Amino acid sequence: MRKAGLAVTVAASLVLAGCVSTRQYADVEFAPPQGDYKLLVMRPDVSVGSMTTGGLVEPRADWTESARAKLLAALRAQQAGRGGNVMVLDRRDSLAGVSADSIAELERLHSAVGGSIALHKYSGATLPTKRRKGLDYTLGEDAVALGRRTGYDYALFLHAEDSFASTGRVALQVLGVAGCFVGFCAPNIGLGQQVAYASLVDLRTGEVVWFNLLRSQLGDIRTDEGAGQMVERLLGRMKPGREVRRRERAAS
Amino acid sequence: MGGGIAAASLTTGVAQARIRPNEMVPLIGPGYRAQDVDEKGMWQQMERVEEEISGSNLLIKDPALTRYLGDLIGRVGGPAARDMRIYLARIPEFNAVMFPTGFTVIFSGLLLRMRNEAQLAGVIAHESAHFLRKHQLRQWRDLKRKTDIFSILAMGAGVAGGAAGVYAGDLVRLAEFGTILSLLRYNRVLEAEADAMGVRLLAEAGYDPTEMSRTWAQLIGELDLSAKYRRKRRDRDFSIFSTHPNPEARMADLKISAAEAKQAGRSYDAFRDRYLSATANVRPTLLDDQVKLNDPGASQYVVNTLAKDGWNGMLRFHEGEIWRLRNLKGDELRAGQGYAAAVLYADAPADAWRWHGIMLMKAGRSAEAKLALARYLRMAPTAPDAAFVRQMVAG
Repeated sequence: MRKAGLAVTVAASLVLAGCVSTRQYADVEFAPPQGDYKLLVMRPDVSVGSMTTGGLVEPRADWTESARAKLLAALRAQQAGRGGNVMVLDRRDSLAGVSADSIAELERLHSAVGGSIALHKYSGATLPTKRRKGLDYTLGEDAVALGRRTGYDYALFLHAEDSFASTGRVALQVLGVAGCFVGFCAPNIGLGQQVAYASLVDLRTGEVVWFNLLRSQLGDIRTDEGAGQMVERLLGRMKPGREVRRRERAAS
Repeated sequence: MGGGIAAASLTTGVAQARIRPNEMVPLIGPGYRAQDVDEKGMWQQMERVEEEISGSNLLIKDPALTRYLGDLIGRVGGPAARDMRIYLARIPEFNAVMFPTGFTVIFSGLLLRMRNEAQLAGVIAHESAHFLRKHQLRQWRDLKRKTDIFSILAMGAGVAGGAAGVYAGDLVRLAEFGTILSLLRYNRVLEAEADAMGVRLLAEAGYDPTEMSRTWAQLIGELDLSAKYRRKRRDRDFSIFSTHPNPEARMADLKISAAEAKQAGRSYDAFRDRYLSATANVRPTLLDDQVKLNDPGASQYVVNTLAKDGWNGMLRFHEGEIWRLRNLKGDELRAGQGYAAAVLYADAPADAWRWHGIMLMKAGRSAEAKLALARYLRMAPTAPDAAFVRQMVAG
């Protein structure tokens, strides 16, 4: 009886381990871009590594390059289907007439702001003064200046991490599961996982208008299919902000 | 459990054999690029880090000083000297860090504390040795190997214990403790390697290698005085949890290594004059940053150490600033004396005259105060507070 109970627990754990979770936030007045709009994609921050037996993630240069290229290709395809006009920055000096320094400063500012959003909206450290305000974060006047100078309507910031279990890590997982049958159960030591976020900044106002964070143990962003899946999960189902949805419900 | 911890300590080892300069040979040569898969991944990450650091507004971007520092790493960087880059960060601490792709960040607090070029070159040589000996990669591999072993043993102990009906948690925790101690010990070994190779690089470049151990004597003195003013005692005990060898041991080892690295009949220099002229422009900023830490013991030690090479108006002025900022009983008098001494030197900064005037005003010597403040206005006519000072002089 005890062993049967353990088997059920193990099965449940293994099923749960395959979950994909996303959670998006939109500013209260956000409407997803449609039709004719211009999108500037900042250079994506991508890192892919191998998870060692001991649980460390060792960065892999070739996997990272492959994943970055696949994600950008998937993003271009997705935006083409959406009708947007997309420019992807390969380097900080890719935009004519805009200095690398000003792009760098915006990227650094966004990494701080994006980190704050991830912390306060997703990790439980909720800010009481920002409750029920949708997203209340801004990149300030520098973002507006960039939009005015270049004519782009939105800037998209992407961050993606993925890791894959080494053979040692997989063996350890197998041993942990096998141990359940002799009374020592460790099935959830963790194999590789994806963490990614996307952040949309309205360059007319400088504000972060939409943010999505993805966690997944499925998929391989080094492949066309895996990268396409991640982009679809991150960007494929943008929801409007609360006020826009309220007006739509009132109109119907 | 006590016995277990003692056993763990014995296993990781507290004492270790000294590493000698002539054993330290570079593991890389000119134009080195990452070789293995893990090294390539590390380099890719570091290239991004360097891009961020090189564009940071924390850097001091004085072209002459940057060239000077680049020349230094060119001299003591060994076979890969041409591949290394050096950045100066405005951080008033005694520190420097080398990254595995060959760029180093020197903190501005070093430029304040080093008394000559040989001492600064010694720090740079130590950091260069980290690159030449591939320390970050070796440390990563050590960490990876030991965490792998620990995971396998911990899982094995759990399964075996489960099969036998025995709880193995205490044993696993003890093994984890031993793994951590072993990782820290390896870190200390790599630091000792960098010290030994640094001495060798320094001597080969014609610098007096004894200056490296004097650097640590100065640091120990500063830490002691800083702690004394805070009515605390600096922790002198060696700890098996330290990531670096303790300063006294480093100083002693460096002294021995310096003697070994010197060749009979060869002359070695400290190049103090070249160092002083190269850093003259930034010295006021460095002193100001240090004093504004409001760590009077450390700041006083730094000022007094620099004064061993001769007092000047800049040092006396900052001596006064130390006490003005601490602002305890009797400090105002000490500060006033500092400013009064400062203005006797030709190189006293404008602010020295300003504060001297204010202190005289407080002491009721208004005629002398007005003369001092008038001198301040002549030196800094567009100072933010010039209008107010003019009122004080006129009134």
